[in-house]
Amino acid sequence: MDFDFSEEQYLLRDTVRDLLGKDCTPAHVRAMWNDERGRSPERWRKLGEMGVLGLMVPEQYGGSGLDEVDMVLALEESGRAVLPEPLVESAALAAPLLARAGGDDLKQRWLPRAASGEAVLTVGLESQPYVGDATADLVLLERDGEIHAVTQDRVTLQPLKSIDGARRVFKVTAETGDDTLIGTSQQHGQWLFDHAAAATAAQLVGIAGALLDQTVEYVKVREQFGRKVGSFQAVQHRLAEMLLLVESARSAVYYAAYALAHELPDASIAASVAKAAANDAERFANHNALQLHGGIGFTWEHDLHLWLKRGKALEWQYGDADHHRKRIADWIYTEAAAR
Amino acid sequence: MDFQLSAEDAAFQEEVRTWLADRREQIEHTRAVDWEQGGEAFERHREWERALFEAGLAAIAWPKEYGGRGASLMQQSLFTEEYVKAKAPDRINRLGLGLLGPTLMVYGSDEQKSEHLPRILRCDEIWCQGFSEPNAGSDLASLRTRAEIDGDDFVVNGQKIWTSLGRFGDWIFTLCRTDPAAPKHKGISFILVDMHAPGVEVRPLVQIDGSARFAEVFFTDVRVPRSNLVGNLNEGWKVAMTTLGFERGTGLGSPAAFNRMFSELVDLTRREQRDTDPDVRRRVAQAYIETRMFQLNNQRTLSKLAKGAQVGSEASLNKLYWSEMETRMLETALDSLGPRAEIAEGAEAEHGGAVFGDYLYARASQIYAGTNEIQKNIIAQRVLGLPREA
Repeated sequence: MDFDFSEEQYLLRDTVRDLLGKDCTPAHVRAMWNDERGRSPERWRKLGEMGVLGLMVPEQYGGSGLDEVDMVLALEESGRAVLPEPLVESAALAAPLLARAGGDDLKQRWLPRAASGEAVLTVGLESQPYVGDATADLVLLERDGEIHAVTQDRVTLQPLKSIDGARRVFKVTAETGDDTLIGTSQQHGQWLFDHAAAATAAQLVGIAGALLDQTVEYVKVREQFGRKVGSFQAVQHRLAEMLLLVESARSAVYYAAYALAHELPDASIAASVAKAAANDAERFANHNALQLHGGIGFTWEHDLHLWLKRGKALEWQYGDADHHRKRIADWIYTEAAAR
Repeated sequence: MDFQLSAEDAAFQEEVRTWLADRREQIEHTRAVDWEQGGEAFERHREWERALFEAGLAAIAWPKEYGGRGASLMQQSLFTEEYVKAKAPDRINRLGLGLLGPTLMVYGSDEQKSEHLPRILRCDEIWCQGFSEPNAGSDLASLRTRAEIDGDDFVVNGQKIWTSLGRFGDWIFTLCRTDPAAPKHKGISFILVDMHAPGVEVRPLVQIDGSARFAEVFFTDVRVPRSNLVGNLNEGWKVAMTTLGFERGTGLGSPAAFNRMFSELVDLTRREQRDTDPDVRRRVAQAYIETRMFQLNNQRTLSKLAKGAQVGSEASLNKLYWSEMETRMLETALDSLGPRAEIAEGAEAEHGGAVFGDYLYARASQIYAGTNEIQKNIIAQRVLGLPREA
């Protein structure tokens, strides 16, 4: 048994962290707020060159043919850096879904470009009212129990302004037909929802980790009453609790990636455990990061709210914590949860 | 990342599982009595320990040279899991096997090791831990029991408290002040005391759940040979920190025990017909999430240790997690019972009020082995690197 990542997997994480540390600083994220597209094609291409966008694309379509375990650390890093671009939707959901469900023509047309970063893909789940990055070149839309692959000429978008200036969310209507149908919810709906929850949980853990780290650094330098505020026990205990929640959620997220990659019988429940845990950890980190920063963290000028807002927004994506707890309870009381 | 057991570990797991299954009768016979009642009940538990010893399973973690199996941490964890699943009896000599034995292997003299280790292994000596005192709890280093040198002996005077298994102990490993003039951490020594020696008095300490699993131990002019000093004189704090590292590490808080507690919680909510109540269902789901994460945290730590990483203060995260999770789970069980939870006897009572009893007993876990507040200090200062309180 080895519940750890390989050296190659850690290396990929470090490479992504380095790239985002240079190209996705808070200043870069802020620059997206007033940018019409809100996205950096250059940064996206670099992620493509690095192999992150095609990680879960089969090799025959120009990807690396790797799995959720290889992907999860990159997703966590994207949360840590509050990356504006739709890494979850394009690389962790739409590309592997297309690889599963799409016909060869469709895959030939889109997967190599999705892997290289020339194209952006996204997904719209039936259970979700809005679609993130619906301006993508290809939208995989779940409607009326069917999954359709629709291009921009077939969609009507209503942009919605998010409190998080870097998010781009839309209401979408589409002209779907037999020519856009790639599968049914019955075939792929659970796969899609589980993966969406688990991938978002990975980003939430990245956000919560970033909030923890920034707050620890801040209380080490901020002084009141002639001493570092980080020396006060009330402050220390909150941060200790934060670390415990974040590390535990991390365990849940990593296991969900493994369970999904190996299609284990408990994969759906593992995804729900991950999302509920990541939500709770992020919520606690969100609350306490601002509280421990005090007034400065409440200002527009301070960067903290980049993480606070993204974190809150992701709490509601693909099932909030209570939704997932309900799902887990249904499983406990109906299926054989006998252990 | 791979959750499959290696062939070697799977074979070990099978060996333990089979051995335990073959002894179901002895397990039930032993568990039918509470060792706390002493006499024959205690001796039954000692017989069980002897059976483990004869099978080479008394202390699998110990190196082979000391009569153990040199089992890896993974195998230790598998052993505990199987042991808990088989509902095998409490380990009455866990303080000797889990704390003193490993401490002697690091700091003990050859004479101490050859005298005590085989006797611990065979359960011929029951060991107690003599660290806490009435005025030295979280602030352990302020302890006042003193050991004064007189010829070839120490003369020990003072009092220890919260001594698990105190009434049954043959030996107690103590922290005593040997240099009252030195700063408080520097004047302490780690000394082994024969509890049958003149001047040692043990009084049972009845707890809020009515049981007496702890005792107070009083020392009045107890003469202890100087050869019972472990490590150097006045350097007992360093030895004690090693011992406490073993305490917070393995042994306490096995995931299998909490998985079982979770199953029992689900059964209880069904029996009480609370399984359709959305609030109960939400809390039960949360209990599932927490037991899963606890197990996964353990597996992550084990994997890091197997690769040679040092895990020190992270043990505090572990203890903090399970002790709070345990209380929360039992609170959910009590709330599911509602007013019936308080009934201790008769037809109305659920297992003779056992859930309430378990809950009361569980409250101790946030206090012992370093209170959770102390654990949070350790996490903040040693893991997160925050400054010590001025």
